[in-house]
Amino acid sequence: MARILLVEDNEMNRDMLSRRLERKGFEITMAVDGREGVEMAKAGDYDLILMDMSLPEIDGWEATRQLRAAPDTERTPIIALTAHAMAGDRERALEAGCDDYDTKPIELDRLLSKINALLEKNT
Amino acid sequence: MPRSSTARKSAEPDRSAAAHRQAALLRLSTEIAAAHDEEGIYRSVVHGLHDEALGYNFLGVFLLDPESGDRVLQASMGWPDVPDAWRVHRGEGLSEQALLDGELHYTADVTRESRYLPSLASGSEVDVPLRVDGTTIGVLVVESAEPNAFGGEDFEILNAAANQASIAVGRARLLASERRRADEHKALLDTMADLSAELELSRVLQAVLVRAVSLLGVTGGEVAIWEEEAQELVVLASQNIGKDSTGTRLKPGEGAMGTVARTQEPIIIPSYAEWLGRSTKYSDLTIHSVMAAPLLIGRRLVGAIATIHADPEREFGPEDMRLLNLFAPQAAIAIENARLYTEAQRQKQYFEELLQNSPVAIVTLDRDYSIVSCNPNFESLFGYSSDEAVGRNLDELITTEATRTEAEQYTREALDRAVHGIGRRQRKDGTLVDVEVLGVPVIVDGERVGLMGLYHDITELLRARQEAEAANSAKSQFLASMSHELRTPLNAIIGYSEMLQEEAEDLGHAEFGGDLQKIHTAGRHLLSLINNVLDLSKIEAGRMELYLEDFDASTMIDDVVTTVRPLVDKNSNSLEVEQADDLGSMHADLTKVRQMLLNLLSNACKFTEGGAITLAAERGKDNGREIITFSVRDTGIGMTPEQMERLFEAFSQAEASTTSKYGGTGLGLAITRRFTNMMGGDVQVVSAPGEGSTFTIRLPAAVEAAPAT
Repeated sequence: MARILLVEDNEMNRDMLSRRLERKGFEITMAVDGREGVEMAKAGDYDLILMDMSLPEIDGWEATRQLRAAPDTERTPIIALTAHAMAGDRERALEAGCDDYDTKPIELDRLLSKINALLEKNT
Repeated sequence: MPRSSTARKSAEPDRSAAAHRQAALLRLSTEIAAAHDEEGIYRSVVHGLHDEALGYNFLGVFLLDPESGDRVLQASMGWPDVPDAWRVHRGEGLSEQALLDGELHYTADVTRESRYLPSLASGSEVDVPLRVDGTTIGVLVVESAEPNAFGGEDFEILNAAANQASIAVGRARLLASERRRADEHKALLDTMADLSAELELSRVLQAVLVRAVSLLGVTGGEVAIWEEEAQELVVLASQNIGKDSTGTRLKPGEGAMGTVARTQEPIIIPSYAEWLGRSTKYSDLTIHSVMAAPLLIGRRLVGAIATIHADPEREFGPEDMRLLNLFAPQAAIAIENARLYTEAQRQKQYFEELLQNSPVAIVTLDRDYSIVSCNPNFESLFGYSSDEAVGRNLDELITTEATRTEAEQYTREALDRAVHGIGRRQRKDGTLVDVEVLGVPVIVDGERVGLMGLYHDITELLRARQEAEAANSAKSQFLASMSHELRTPLNAIIGYSEMLQEEAEDLGHAEFGGDLQKIHTAGRHLLSLINNVLDLSKIEAGRMELYLEDFDASTMIDDVVTTVRPLVDKNSNSLEVEQADDLGSMHADLTKVRQMLLNLLSNACKFTEGGAITLAAERGKDNGREIITFSVRDTGIGMTPEQMERLFEAFSQAEASTTSKYGGTGLGLAITRRFTNMMGGDVQVVSAPGEGSTFTIRLPAAVEAAPAT
């Protein structure tokens, strides 16, 4: 069972996405801001990280850079979650080290296909 | 020397008498030569011959009056009680013979001649003709109280004297004619001087007229100008015609001036009273004859001039016409000049009015940047009265130390070319004012004589702009937070409804599925509306930017098709995708291209039921540029030309009624068109009611980065 770290500050988004992914069979751990996300990612052994980009404390881009710089997490797949209209966010996310991105609101099928693709690539 | 003369009884001349005669003849020659005019010459002749040494005691000079044939006495000696200008009528007297044949005639005994007119000296008489240029003009008559008083020597002396006198008269007449021409010339020069000295038309014309009347020796005259609008002549100058006729109006063809105005040819009317063309407006006057000429500038009529003789004895001849034709152009020029002057005055007044009433502060400077004049708005803008400002250096007057150098630079440049800028100037009371400055050189006849400065108070404008910028910034801020604040709860609605649908299915409560789907669909719709409004706001505010990236067109299309699939199915439509094999990659704003295609496809789905929708994409060339063409074709309700006209405008679905049926904001196509424009492409539509629609987007395969629109 794949373990996913969901870094998301919005409680409802966190709740929805975690529940929907859990129902699809993933084991979800949650962090509420960038700093906590980095700490937890380093501490735990996750198969994939879903990273919201606009986060308090440390934003998603900075958190991603820190994770890429740390030996334990440099290879962990990260999918950036960005807001629909913020087109520039995507390139910045990829530059920061994200493997893929998806836009909010989440379309579950699309996100699942991206998650599965990265998990398969990594095994 | 008459033998009967009392001076010398002896017929034998002695040496001393001969010397005296020579001296007398010399004096005679000298006096004739010294005479200034004809009158003087005749006087010199009779005086000189009357000399004691010569002994001619009774003599006179008569001139022939060519009209009457009479002889008129000009000068005489020895005849007491003869009237001045004594007239000897044609056919009378002995002296006529010399006039007729031009020869000297001697009558030894006058009493034996029937034509002799008795006078005091009724003895003998010599008549010598005076001839000028081959024409006999008069006769010198010398008489003696005794018969047989004259001999050969007398004839020689008198012939010589008559010759001398004739030559002198010829010269004097030539001189007089030259003088007359000189007078004419001077009159014309004076007239021209008047033209420049006096510009008030009626006075100029009066001056021209007075000179013409004087030079022509006529009784009086009139000058009229042609009024183009009224198609009439109006008398402006009137001189001695028996009344003041100024203001009299004449139609073309009416009276002498009306006639020349119509024919554009001068005219002489010998007897005005009998002339059929005479005007009733002059019937109360004594006018014998009239000469009139049109006043022309080129072939354009500007007026007419007329002169009259009230004296029945006087008539107009070719010489008079020549003189009038000398004056006519002068009067015409005067009229034309006055017209031009009036025009120039009117323009000057117009520009002065403009200057005075201009809402812009205007100041003119000489070459040394000193103020020459300023308008009322300059006074009120800077607080200096015209009197205070004139003569002062402009930049010293209205700049501060901080702005002086910059302002002086402007001023120097403005002497050569138009300068435009924005700056801050100081009022008399020390307060500062933001102004827009325009400086332009003032060039008169190719010479830079100074410059003109225009100041527009932009304090209000700047404040308004700052306010607008602040408002705009607040609006952007508002939109950004709206975007976040609206989307967050909406994401929850969309997310939870979707999740609940999934759970309901998992838990076997399919009956809730429909309602949950409605919530989900409504939420999605609301989200797209919000996104569209935000997009359009950004575009309108110029804040929409392009994020150009390389992407594979086919992958993008697949992605779009996946997204739109549920909409296609909803109205039982089919979707066919026609992709060219060579579609390749694009360099463009991926999100916006996706959004545009989704817009077109969702529209096609919305307005088509149970039909076919086709998405086609191909690569091609346009003016040497690689382009990608996307087209979305449907078999839906289509549109009328009127509906298509407003299709790409914001908030305009083809008709209001469609909104209630099909939903949507009418923003999708407006956004699509703006996006295509931003990327250097376009969007077009072909449609007819009931025959579906085809939307075509053409984009450069490689979009060039451009400033945000």
